[in-house]
Amino acid sequence: MIRLVVDPLTRVEGHGRVELLLKEGRLHDVKVRLLESPRLFESLVLGRRYDEVPDLVCRICAICSAAHKLTSLQALEKLMAIRIPTVAAVLRELLLLGGHLQSHALHLFCLILPDLCGTPDLLVLLQRKEPLAKAGIRLKAFGNRIQEIAGGRVVHPVNPVFGGVVYNPDKQLIDDLSEELRHWQACWPELCQQFLQLSNYPEACPVIGQPLATGLQEAFSLNGESLYYGEEQVDSSDYAQLLGERSRADSHAKDSNGQAGPFLTGALARASLAAGRKFRFDMPAERFGMHGNNLAQANEIGWTLRRIGQLLETLRQADRSEPLRATLKQANGGVGTAATEAPRGLLIHHYVVDEWGKVVAADIVTPTAINQRVMAAQIMTDLAKEKDHERLCMVAERIVRAYDPCISCAVHLVKVENSSEKGLSCQKRSK
Amino acid sequence: MKLKPPINLAWIRFTSCSGCQLMLLNCEPSLAELARIVAIRDFPLASSTLGKNAEIDIGLVEGSITTPSELERLLAFRRKVHLLVAVGACALTAGVNSLVRGERRQAMTKVYAGQGDDWNTFPPQPVAHFVKVDGQIPGCPPEPEELLNSIGTLLNGGWAGHQVMPVCMECRINENPCLLERDRAPCLGPITLAGCNARCPNLGVPCEGCRGVVAEANRDELCRLFLTAGLTDQDISHRLERFGETT
Repeated sequence: MIRLVVDPLTRVEGHGRVELLLKEGRLHDVKVRLLESPRLFESLVLGRRYDEVPDLVCRICAICSAAHKLTSLQALEKLMAIRIPTVAAVLRELLLLGGHLQSHALHLFCLILPDLCGTPDLLVLLQRKEPLAKAGIRLKAFGNRIQEIAGGRVVHPVNPVFGGVVYNPDKQLIDDLSEELRHWQACWPELCQQFLQLSNYPEACPVIGQPLATGLQEAFSLNGESLYYGEEQVDSSDYAQLLGERSRADSHAKDSNGQAGPFLTGALARASLAAGRKFRFDMPAERFGMHGNNLAQANEIGWTLRRIGQLLETLRQADRSEPLRATLKQANGGVGTAATEAPRGLLIHHYVVDEWGKVVAADIVTPTAINQRVMAAQIMTDLAKEKDHERLCMVAERIVRAYDPCISCAVHLVKVENSSEKGLSCQKRSK
Repeated sequence: MKLKPPINLAWIRFTSCSGCQLMLLNCEPSLAELARIVAIRDFPLASSTLGKNAEIDIGLVEGSITTPSELERLLAFRRKVHLLVAVGACALTAGVNSLVRGERRQAMTKVYAGQGDDWNTFPPQPVAHFVKVDGQIPGCPPEPEELLNSIGTLLNGGWAGHQVMPVCMECRINENPCLLERDRAPCLGPITLAGCNARCPNLGVPCEGCRGVVAEANRDELCRLFLTAGLTDQDISHRLERFGETT
């Protein structure tokens, strides 16, 4: 029995590792370990005022901080039955899309592109003055600029607050964004080509996992009241039942495996559900396997750019004298759940607040927690015939990377190990 | 001492959100320049190069220390790093991670529903509780310019000058209306270390104190102002403790 260990996984968010167990030269078992330390966010918000929660939970993860803040606000606003003004809703969606753009660009250009070019990182490509790398980080900067204008800060945004937003950005800034947007809309079809080539990815098997997403009512969007999988649809407040999120005696995990699962979430799941609902979304060919998630993200950037254009136009025409924030006379207690499509997939925030406005229960389900169950199975299937040790490690890491995991986020639910066992480490090479 | 390029740079991350590391990647216009003078030896979020035994010129640390294995990694990192810089609120004060109240074991049981018992963890600690820290960059998240300036000055053998005044002063320089006076908002500007150019108050958002407390802060007066503004004792202590301050 030989054990190959890839530790740490690189070019992914957070600390994780993959263990490959070989029997008679063939892959026998795969373990994907998430090694983040506990942060206990669901516990630290207890007893705090409801309006303090969004500022705290956005600190779960920097890359998804906008998604966490907005989802928690939505859940709490639903709970208190408060409707936010239209302009505030538009600015919030713009912030979320800016986050999508920056996160997808980060994943494709900083984390995936080095694989396609055979380099250890993006900095090497920048040194070589690779035009694609340069354009990629400029696109990422554009996503960040949208987040900064709509959210006040690139990471942990401050503009969205309970009831709406604090400010409406200057018209000049909106005009500048529109102008830069036109540039990206024009050059994206050319720029994304590299990520659409089958020859750039390792051979792969069909994707494992039932696609799961929200926001597919009338059109493709990132917000919704329902969760969709296959032909089915359930209310987002029934998420716990669907995900079968229960503690088990044989694992520290709250297991995300309801009867309909295991689930797959993220850009690829969104694309396949949208295509099934005739929203005319380009689907990657089956032969891409999980690496199709990279294509799905590339296609989604195209959609994101179009949607940003619509929102900027709405903002330009909006009446600037309208209020930006709804006020609440008195906090009332209740239960609130909200679901968002974060860049990496379905994100759910759920809160219970007492009559004095203090949080008494909180539950947060993150995309990587949902995906963790299928990752190991996908590696097992894709690499069933592979014998070369170096290639086993390299491809396993690329499969995990394709999910675009966010381990800081995931550490709330999944089985997290804190072991320091040593195995046979894989030599890492750039190719 | 002036360092000769290429400078070996490493990032190590403990209990945190990756935001400090991301802020460096968010310095998009400067990345090409950075690539010219810096050789990445360990930065798993961005690079597959792992310099296990390489000597490191500048070692950046993100996050607070919450487990014995994190402490081991921190000590090993300190041994191979020439200059160690603690970056961000978690590394400096333990950050929002430390807001878990009461018995930590109990909190673990709550979140992991009785299944987190065998997990060896202790209350989050700042990096400086265990190792010598050569430089600090505050903020949650840190300002990108401050990150670049600090790396740049370290290369030249110096350390970027610290701000000594509170955010409140930056607000006055920018001629902002006072949010504490105008909206009776719980703004921590009067006691928070400047350096962000009053980023949040400029936008009408009260300061949450993410850069930590300024020297000689007048906490008593701020608490009095907050009480006059109608905040309760508990509201005030929750506001102050978010980034490690107490009443």
